[in-house]
Amino acid sequence: MTKSKPQIKIVNVETGEEIVRDATAEEIAQMELDAALAETKKVEAQAKETAKAAILDRIGLTADELKMILG
Amino acid sequence: MATTTNYSWTTPDDTALVKDGASAIRTLGTSIDTTVKALNPGTTSGDLDYYTAATTKARIAKGTAGQVFTMNSGATAPEWQTLNAGSMTLISTTTLTGASVTLSSIPQTYNKLFLVIRNFLPATDSDFLQMRFNADATANRHKTQLYYSVFYYNTASAFGATSSQISAANDNAVSTSIITVEIPDYTNTATWKMGETTALNVDPTTTTSEQFYKGIAIYNQTTAISSLLFLPSSGNFTSGTILLYGVK
Repeated sequence: MTKSKPQIKIVNVETGEEIVRDATAEEIAQMELDAALAETKKVEAQAKETAKAAILDRIGLTADELKMILG
Repeated sequence: MATTTNYSWTTPDDTALVKDGASAIRTLGTSIDTTVKALNPGTTSGDLDYYTAATTKARIAKGTAGQVFTMNSGATAPEWQTLNAGSMTLISTTTLTGASVTLSSIPQTYNKLFLVIRNFLPATDSDFLQMRFNADATANRHKTQLYYSVFYYNTASAFGATSSQISAANDNAVSTSIITVEIPDYTNTATWKMGETTALNVDPTTTTSEQFYKGIAIYNQTTAISSLLFLPSSGNFTSGTILLYGVK
């Protein structure tokens, strides 16, 4: 069974004309690149949260206590 | 004298004399000419016509650049009007579907664009929404500044992305999220472009909790913005709606 290609939708907002088509090979490659970058962002954000939690743990504060101090 | 059914044009009776034929045809022709003119009251290129009564039409001359066609205050007739500063016009309403959605041919007649994205629902859990100015996927033209970090204004910050993040992570089953993006001065060709983003998303782990996001989508090109591409951080959209407004 062939895997269906991702669908691209393009809407001309002036005329309302709508085109839905298969993504080209170039667009699929771009999507894969985008997804990889986004995944890196997610991992970085998670690492930041973990690092924050480790610091709080080291100084003996909870996140809520820190919020209270900063607020 | 016999007349026609709809417009009561006078026609010769069956008993009329042949010698009066020319006069009868002329009378009928004049009546037809008058009626057709009433149905086509336009006189100039760009004119529009509208009914002022059930069977009566009037012409309305074309408006000036940037004017919009709308009903008058008494809701009795259409008219061209110049939009007041700050007034918003809904340009388009588009459903989020597939792997990406592009809004193209954005009119260049407003001062800024305002987007409202309702109920963004990604197919993949924890995905966030991304936006690409002018659907430009060239490397190193986009970036995202989170709101807390923009205060570090003296810190050099490079462009390293092909799109900007415009929401927090969202659940893939529940979406009561709302995202707004404001893009000022999008038609100028002298500055980089930015979109100020505010997002309220449904937390992917605890769907009764929210994730809030405030950031700036940045594009380091001076080209006017004529299209915007939206894509989830991976995979497809399940649903959602984009409302695009032009603001005067």
